[in-house]
Amino acid sequence: VSSPGSTLTPLSPQRLQAAVHYTVGSLCQDVAEDKEVQFSKQTVAAIAEITFRQCEIFAKDLEMFARHAKRSTINTEDVKLLARRSNSLLKYITQKSEELALSNMEQKEKKKKKSSASMGGRTAEQEAAVTESEDSSMV
Amino acid sequence: PLQPPGPKAVPKRPGASRRKPREPKIASSLIKKIFSHYVKMPVTRDAFKIVEKCCERYFKQLSDDLEAYSSHAGRKTVEMADLEVLMRRQGLVTDKMPMNVLIERYLPLEYRKLLIPVAISGNKVMPSK
Repeated sequence: VSSPGSTLTPLSPQRLQAAVHYTVGSLCQDVAEDKEVQFSKQTVAAIAEITFRQCEIFAKDLEMFARHAKRSTINTEDVKLLARRSNSLLKYITQKSEELALSNMEQKEKKKKKSSASMGGRTAEQEAAVTESEDSSMV
Repeated sequence: PLQPPGPKAVPKRPGASRRKPREPKIASSLIKKIFSHYVKMPVTRDAFKIVEKCCERYFKQLSDDLEAYSSHAGRKTVEMADLEVLMRRQGLVTDKMPMNVLIERYLPLEYRKLLIPVAISGNKVMPSK
């Protein structure tokens, strides 16, 4: 959610747990509507608790994997390693990470275009036409 | 007869080519010994067969994991660090239970010497790296 190096205001565990509980509640509601079943309050609370504790395990493992690769930043490779045990999960995670990578690339391209357009410089031949039209519209 | 572990070629035995190739596995007698040592209870023959199968499966899983961990660190050789990551994920090694304690607890002295430096007489440390 945040870029590495940004300062996050640490939330208290209770607030974190409440946030998790709320999200789990919403997700359970979606499932309940989809499958036409009911979730008791205790069930939702239990799932929230499980999720919260599982996060601790995930965090520790991800830290370990990053350190193992002599990195101090956790990246998608570490996350994939976390999901390695389950084939279907690994497939899903890999697909999602590819989608993310693509959207990131697109965003970067857009940024490049913007900066190159504002500076009037040309970084790629493909953008040349676009920047030209933008330049003419700016003048 | 003990050598420090490391990647090395296995010498081919004469006559090994005549026998049909079998999958290498841990001797069932050894599995039996280890299992009975920890169980302290009578175990049926069928149960031992299942334990053997589990051991095979365990080693398959183990090799897969170690491969993944070593390639994750950008290596092609499995090292001690990979094994430690694996054992941490298995919940054997924790902050309260370091690798060396496990080694000291479960391995005989001659193997321990290879893995953990042991101070010996004459102000020397084994193994000398």
